[in-house]
Amino acid sequence: MNQGYKQVKRMTPAMRIIHWINAFSMIGAIATGLYIGHPYYQTFIADGAVDKYVMAWNRYGHFIIAIIFDVTSVAIVYLYFFSRFEKPYKKVIPNAKNLTEFKDVVVNLMTLNRKNEFDSTHSDSFNTVYFTIFHLLLLWMLFTGLQMYVWGLGSGLSSIGSWWPWMLHVATDWTLYVTGGSKMDVRLSHHYTMWFIISWIVFHIYYQVWRTIFWKEADIAIVVGGSKFVKDDKAGKK
Amino acid sequence: MSDKIEAVKKLFTSKSSRVETNKGDTYYQELFVKCEARLNEMRAQTPANRLDFSELLEENGIDRREFMKWASATTAMLMLPPMFTPLVADAAVMMNRAPVIWLELQDCAGNSEALLRADGPKIDEIVLDIISLEYHETLQAASGHQAEKQLDEAMELFKGKYLLFVEGSIPMGMDGKYGTIGAAGETFHDHLMRCSENAAAVVAVGACATFGGIPAASPNPTGAVGVMSVVKNKPIINIPACPANPANMVGVILHYLLTGQIPELDSLLRPKFAFGYRIHDNCERRAHFDAGEYVEEWGDKGAQNNFCLYKMGCKGPMTFNNCSIVRYNDAVNWPIGVGRGCIGCSEPDFWDKYAYERPMADAKIKAPTGGVEKTVDEFGLGMLTAVGIGIGIHAAASAIAGKREKSGESHE
Repeated sequence: MNQGYKQVKRMTPAMRIIHWINAFSMIGAIATGLYIGHPYYQTFIADGAVDKYVMAWNRYGHFIIAIIFDVTSVAIVYLYFFSRFEKPYKKVIPNAKNLTEFKDVVVNLMTLNRKNEFDSTHSDSFNTVYFTIFHLLLLWMLFTGLQMYVWGLGSGLSSIGSWWPWMLHVATDWTLYVTGGSKMDVRLSHHYTMWFIISWIVFHIYYQVWRTIFWKEADIAIVVGGSKFVKDDKAGKK
Repeated sequence: MSDKIEAVKKLFTSKSSRVETNKGDTYYQELFVKCEARLNEMRAQTPANRLDFSELLEENGIDRREFMKWASATTAMLMLPPMFTPLVADAAVMMNRAPVIWLELQDCAGNSEALLRADGPKIDEIVLDIISLEYHETLQAASGHQAEKQLDEAMELFKGKYLLFVEGSIPMGMDGKYGTIGAAGETFHDHLMRCSENAAAVVAVGACATFGGIPAASPNPTGAVGVMSVVKNKPIINIPACPANPANMVGVILHYLLTGQIPELDSLLRPKFAFGYRIHDNCERRAHFDAGEYVEEWGDKGAQNNFCLYKMGCKGPMTFNNCSIVRYNDAVNWPIGVGRGCIGCSEPDFWDKYAYERPMADAKIKAPTGGVEKTVDEFGLGMLTAVGIGIGIHAAASAIAGKREKSGESHE
């Protein structure tokens, strides 16, 4: 370790595992989701239908990823409020301290790192808000996705019992009314939200790389090793 | 506790698309007795018209066996157990005791057309032929004041008993002046309100009468709406689709005749026996969907081999209707069967949101930014490009600023 630098722990192993599960799931969900929305490669070949099953496998993959997202989402919601390491919800409460920090981080980004007036040792308010937006988008995908899923259970039955479609109706029927009343609106919204998430990801990756290059505090290492490095004199400032 | 669970379940599922296909022996026994009593009561009444069902069947070359086959199929469609078959057959014969008033509002008369099927009528159509159609704006011989008089008489005679069938949407723009009817120039809206006042129930038939249909499609110049947006405090049954399937019209009338009640409805007031199932799940081409075998363009090898029409814009996966089961024109064929996709005609806003004959991702719809119509993917790629440009500018500026910092120009 360089002299004069201090190691700061930023992500627990659980947080890092969830991050990478989400990252790879997202790639899988987008690849399979784009195929489901518009089958972009063709299977127009001389094989029996039973050997191909391409759409079915894509949908299967999409649903399995959805279930993984479901589980990690529950974990994230829990950690959001009850984590012993860092409770993210504390950073999104719009109090004076958080608002100032949020503004300072945006100013830092806009002035190309010329102004740096906040404590970069811990997760800042801007980052936490951005993180929260992602998980709200993801929750929206889960609700709209499960609404579309339950259309296939019109009989009200499923292999695991009738409670499952019943629960899905209770939990997701509201998306119909929120999006505009017809089933197609739910579908369109699900597809639009994918593009918002892709845009989110693009900026997220850029911003983390940008921080690493310009802050010179090895931020990119947080998601791999769990910690970053800050100058001794800077740590504890503010 | 289990009572409470049941109560909560009922509260949340009563208006969902859940279909209860088996309600238990006790329920059906009770219903059977009730229906039998009702049919006996009907039998005692004098028919409202002199058409004889058995004669009509004979004239059209349909024998008893074929009729009984139809009766058992209809019983199944109504989700009743087989023991109801003789009752359904009886009810069909007594259809001439069901007074119906039929209004024709803003539409193309396609549902009347479906109902008539003048060329080679089948049992569904014959059943509809003998209903006591007291007043039908398109079909009746009378016109002007004569027709008005007939309507008034029918409404008076069958007060509180007649079924009001409505075909077509109601234009609400310009005080309803977009559509008027009769010698007095009554607007469609007032006409509907007057006729529905003493109806036993209102049956909205076709996409226009149910959800506004094509007249209500963007930009909806006449301010068209469906019946359920106008008529309140009346039982309403929606039989959407373009045109509505005569089998479902017969189903609703039979159900009413048999039980004296309207059938169980979903959240869009559509009878669950007809609209409780998704087209996609009963489609004959479903296997090709799962296999990823799609028609890529009209007339290609895929089309010749009956591949899935999803890429040609089939909306079966998000449309609830029974046409993949009962088909049209007495099970002769249906859209997928003739090789073109479903356009979702039984769903709200179908013309704007379903009928564009492309997959949803390619649909030209109003972008959230408003104005120009774009596909979702065009919008998404546009947004992504904007993000990319923003990032590019920021990155370039950062790099330049970083260089300056190195050469000591920075303020820090």
